[in-house]
Amino acid sequence: MPRPDPRGRAGASALFFLLLLLLLAAVPSEAANTVSVDVGAVYASNEGTSIDPALGTIRGKLHSMFNYTSYRMLDRKRRSLSVGEAGEFELPGRRTMRTTPLPAQGDKVRLSIQISDGPRKLLTTTIGLRRGGMVLVGGPSHQAGVLILIISAE
Amino acid sequence: MNCGAALGKIEAKADGLLPREAEAELAGHLAGCPACAAEDAVISATGPALRALTGIRAMEKAPALDAMWTRVRAGIEESREARRRSSWIARWAWIPAAVVLAVLALLFYPAGTDRSPFHPSTFDVAVEDVESDVATVALVDKGEDLPRVIWIIEDAKT
Repeated sequence: MPRPDPRGRAGASALFFLLLLLLLAAVPSEAANTVSVDVGAVYASNEGTSIDPALGTIRGKLHSMFNYTSYRMLDRKRRSLSVGEAGEFELPGRRTMRTTPLPAQGDKVRLSIQISDGPRKLLTTTIGLRRGGMVLVGGPSHQAGVLILIISAE
Repeated sequence: MNCGAALGKIEAKADGLLPREAEAELAGHLAGCPACAAEDAVISATGPALRALTGIRAMEKAPALDAMWTRVRAGIEESREARRRSSWIARWAWIPAAVVLAVLALLFYPAGTDRSPFHPSTFDVAVEDVESDVATVALVDKGEDLPRVIWIIEDAKT
């Protein structure tokens, strides 16, 4: 019975990893021009004392920063946007958030953010953060509490 | 022993199936019966004649047998080669499959880590400008370990 040629197998593995590296090398050049915007809408209130586990490491921080007793994630959306491309996120309570990545250097990300409640512009801001960074936007009233938006970008 | 029984024993002896004790009894009969003795001589000669004939036939057929074995060996070698080729294909076939899987994983990797908890690497945020048409906006910074907060105060509600 012929035995498999170990050189052939090693060559196959090398070829596979080479292809994988080529693919992975192609991805960052694409990713450098795109920003992945992650928006989580959290309902903060004093109804109960539960904290949504989906909030991850932010749970404790929310608890230490605000005086609410309950934090529940209502919605979370993620969108990959090119620089200059506007992306719209629907928020609870018929509000919307429109964000556009702006040109930035290095690992920085700049986002133009506009939050509207129908025709009313609740907030217009431009923020700069590092990839993997996060900012909170809170205050819009929702039911018996408020909405806190967790905005992160990668 | 009569001649009928003796004939059966003669055939058994030619086939090597006659027990030794019966051989003496048969020999006694053959000594007194020329007809059975003649039959025994004929039948006993048949075996070597047949063996000789078989040998002759085998020698005649030897080239044909050799040719047949050559063909059989060639067939075995051919099937072994085919198996080797198919195993080579099986050994390498995973590469395109793996490449396709890698590409699919990259293309369809869940872009929305919607279900994974938040794990920010930094809270370093610069707010370049902030304004509101209908609300008061406050910028809250409680240190590097906590996220910066843009707080919208609508009609002094919150």
